Amino acid sequence: MIKIFLLVVSIIISQGSYAAPLSTEAIISPLAKDSLLLDIENVNEQFLIAVGVRGHILRSTDGENWQQMPSPTQTTLTSVTFVNGRHGWAVGHDAIILHSQDAGLTWQIQHENPQLEVPFLHVHFKDEKSGVAVGSYGLFYRTIDGGKTWQQEFHLSLLIEEDIEYLDELKREDEAAYLSERSRILPHFNRFYQDGRTAYLVGELGLIAKSNNFGENWERMEDVYHGSFYDINRTQKGNLLTVGLRGNVFRSISNGNNWENTPIETTALLNNIVLYQGDVVFLLGNNGVLLKSVDDGLTFTLDTQADGKALLAGVIFKEKLIVASEVGIKVIQVTP
Amino acid sequence: MRPIENVINRLELTIFRHRVFVIILFLLMSVFLGYQATQIKLDAAFTKNIPLNHEYMQTYLKHRADFGGANNVLISVCNQEGDIFNENFFTSLKGVHDKLFFIPGVERTQVNSLFSPSTRFIEVVEDGFAGGPVVPADFVADEAGLAIVKGNIEKAGVVGRIVADNYSCAMVKAVLMENDPETGEKLDVIEIASKLENDIRQEYEKDGITVHIIGFSKMVGDVANGAKGVVTFFLIAIAITTVMVYLFSKSIALTILPIACSLIAVIWQLGLLSTMGFGLDPMSILVPFLVFAIGVSHGVQMINSIGKKVALGLKSKQAAEYAFRVLAIPGGIALLSDTVGFITLLSIDIGIIRELAIAASLGVGIIILTNLILLPVLVSFINIKAEKVKTPSKAQAAYQTNQEPALWRFMQSFSERNVAAVVLVVAAILFGLGFHYSKQLKIGELHAGAPSLHEHSRYNQDTFLITDRYAISVDYMSVIVETTANACTNPDVLKTMDSFQWKMENIAGVQSAVSLPSVMKIINSGYYEGNLKWRIISPNQYALAQALSNIPSSTGLLNNDCSVMPVILFLQDHKAETINRVVDAAKIAIAELNNDLVTFKLASGPIGVMAATNEAVEQAQTPMMIYVYGAVIILCWLSFKSIKAVVSVVVPLFIVSTLAQWLMTVLDIGLTVSTLPVIALGVGIGVDYGIYILSTMTQRLSAGDNVQQAYLAALKERGIAVLITGVTLAIGVSTWFFSDLKFQVDMGILLTFMFLVNMLAAVTILPAIAAFLWKKQK
Repeated sequence: MIKIFLLVVSIIISQGSYAAPLSTEAIISPLAKDSLLLDIENVNEQFLIAVGVRGHILRSTDGENWQQMPSPTQTTLTSVTFVNGRHGWAVGHDAIILHSQDAGLTWQIQHENPQLEVPFLHVHFKDEKSGVAVGSYGLFYRTIDGGKTWQQEFHLSLLIEEDIEYLDELKREDEAAYLSERSRILPHFNRFYQDGRTAYLVGELGLIAKSNNFGENWERMEDVYHGSFYDINRTQKGNLLTVGLRGNVFRSISNGNNWENTPIETTALLNNIVLYQGDVVFLLGNNGVLLKSVDDGLTFTLDTQADGKALLAGVIFKEKLIVASEVGIKVIQVTP
Repeated sequence: MRPIENVINRLELTIFRHRVFVIILFLLMSVFLGYQATQIKLDAAFTKNIPLNHEYMQTYLKHRADFGGANNVLISVCNQEGDIFNENFFTSLKGVHDKLFFIPGVERTQVNSLFSPSTRFIEVVEDGFAGGPVVPADFVADEAGLAIVKGNIEKAGVVGRIVADNYSCAMVKAVLMENDPETGEKLDVIEIASKLENDIRQEYEKDGITVHIIGFSKMVGDVANGAKGVVTFFLIAIAITTVMVYLFSKSIALTILPIACSLIAVIWQLGLLSTMGFGLDPMSILVPFLVFAIGVSHGVQMINSIGKKVALGLKSKQAAEYAFRVLAIPGGIALLSDTVGFITLLSIDIGIIRELAIAASLGVGIIILTNLILLPVLVSFINIKAEKVKTPSKAQAAYQTNQEPALWRFMQSFSERNVAAVVLVVAAILFGLGFHYSKQLKIGELHAGAPSLHEHSRYNQDTFLITDRYAISVDYMSVIVETTANACTNPDVLKTMDSFQWKMENIAGVQSAVSLPSVMKIINSGYYEGNLKWRIISPNQYALAQALSNIPSSTGLLNNDCSVMPVILFLQDHKAETINRVVDAAKIAIAELNNDLVTFKLASGPIGVMAATNEAVEQAQTPMMIYVYGAVIILCWLSFKSIKAVVSVVVPLFIVSTLAQWLMTVLDIGLTVSTLPVIALGVGIGVDYGIYILSTMTQRLSAGDNVQQAYLAALKERGIAVLITGVTLAIGVSTWFFSDLKFQVDMGILLTFMFLVNMLAAVTILPAIAAFLWKKQK
């Protein structure tokens, strides 16, 4: 009885917060391009799309001039991806998923669930139909119809042995507690990265996992670090690089085995790996950290940006590094 | 005989029959008030400068206890060579922090610098947070210790707030209380300012370290210091005036007496203020000048009248009695209209303007006693040698020989209709232009820095340095959010505040903004390893409560039960147009966002005060003009009982007021607390000329003269005195041009303009109007 009561209460509360007295559409603001932007995508060298706080979606065809696009939400958007020159998706807090089918000019809400109180942190599509959105506490949504419908998945195989046993036990004893625990027990999934036929997932508590069937089954890799990873990428030379909390950079020359720590001069959180020509790799981090490697990620040199503002994500566009940062779009001149 | 003249005659008999008694009475009063005047103190309180009943200020006063309000001190300690990371600098900074902490009247819980325990850093490590004070308890200013502090400063995110952007300076901030905690009396801001100067700046500004102090108290202290220069100007004004009066009267006695009587008026005024418990505010320190100048100008009328009678062979006593009788009415009316002009300033709900009104009207009231009664009584004792008076200026020589000097002939032509028409057309064109441009008159301060002080003053240079090197400025406005208790953990409240902040950040002129939600967002991302994807207002109230636990109410971002929170907007500057733009935008955003749960209220902080003051000044402007003109019109009517006379006196005055507003737009002087009174003062004093001239003219007109004859008679009778009066008044205030204080310069320019141009208008436009109003009689 008490449980039912609590359930009712929680529904009422969550409905209350859902009916927040705020207009839902993002406000078109002069400073949107200077606001905290969390992701940026280079779409076929034709245009750039950046997303960030307050539902801001910005678009540019030259990397210098940016227009704020109408956005159906004020929720913070954390990640954006395009599969081709027309179709793109953006995800964010309140488990929101937006879709554009006109090259990012207009956006529609495909999915939204504020009651969950969890954000998506990354989105990836392999074609116009199949995509995956991942987020905090193991949030994992999949679509096979271009986002018309989304199915939630629980990848309990990514848990460590003890947690799996604990959940099994709980499931037998108390179904409700099991469901509640299941929704919070998984680590945050920070990035889903597809490399050919292999997909990688990195996240909280040293999570590095790989999948050979677009994320349906996962295999957790050896633990090399107990902090969070935020990005993983395969370099031009074919080696894997992953970066994360407190300046941790790991490199594997054997396809995800034998990770080796690359020492660097900063303890800042590293957000993103950006590949440039040849063996050049950039790492973007908090506190204005910009690291550059010219030897495929073996060694890095630090070039801290003067304002010390976090660099969240970057793309190479027209020979420039265009960055979504804490203070909006930044254009950084780079040399090979 | 009219009843009023009866009264005057009776007064004259009484006064001149008891001359010795009158003098003794004045002497006793002067001794008493002279003593009182020596007791007067400089006095400046923050609340005097603000319109306390204004809606914004009610909000400010209501929440002052929680958020300190607007009376704060910022001290930036800078290293001239290199950055702050050396032992010498940290020793100085610690010294400044401790000194400021122990100054009585400083709110000790809100002293903020690198050394305050509330300045903490938080860093994310694998298993959660690590944090501590930026300057550790065991801090030693050696290489290792400084390196730790440097790292902590970066992690704490205080660069731009209490450390300069380029690491060349660090800040110590404090808030002042309204009352001294030890005595319970009103805090002596000037005393604080001198402590800041002597105990902090003098002591620590050495060896490459510079100390830059700003804040209301320091500004007032600097203004008070600048105001002391006024004494020099006062002496210069006295000297020049004395020379002028001597050139006019050619008699040492007739020079000394009006000057002395005017000085007595000043002494009485100061003495009375002191007796009534008022201090002398730097803003109203100019009033003694006005009193002196007005006193002398009426004194000149008096000795002019006496001199003429003596030249005709009367004894000085009879001459004095005659002068008293003739001048009691026009002089009394003129001074009364001055007084009323000043009293209208009481209608403005700003303490400092009211004090100015009281001080000035008191002073002018006293002049009625000293210069209309004491002066003729004193003169009556002096044996003026007729021949001395007989060789005066050309004008008077001409008067003796009954020949009109060329100047009077020329001026008389203004009362001939053909010339008068030209004068009126020119006046109308000037008025049209003036009226057009006076629409552009701006309310408020038009320049950056403290407007009372010059741009090159140390205070303003310090202000520029601090706004240049830090991301903050003293030009901030707090919009107060009133909501329910414990609203800090209600995401809807926080989101509404956040929306407001974002709307305001997008307004040109808003440099940056901070509020509880904006800080909670940063802390929230801290709980998620510093990942900025989590820089959000958590929808979860437990997460909010957790974030909140890191923010004490001493940050000034929330009160104790979290029912009141400010959104602090830092502005580029405090120019009137910036303030207006931001306030207007805030009003729109508030109308949109106010709901059952959240009420946004304007506004605290220095800009809130300025916005309120600007609005109060703007609202006061029209009523004040109506009152002052209403008073002048009524007094003119009472003394002349003629609409024609009222029109002749008031129209030139109004044209000159309009031209003065035009001048303000040309010189980029805004309508402020210090310039608003000038208009009332200018009108009140400007009316004197018209009344003196017209009082002679109406007598002649009713005796059957035509306008030209009447005007010529007025010129002969009063012309020189009016000119001397205008020049004397103008000299008195024009010495302010050289003041250290910008507002005195502005007031000086405007008053000089008003005095001179009102005089010109009274001898040109007034007769021109009269030429058309009174029918030709022959």
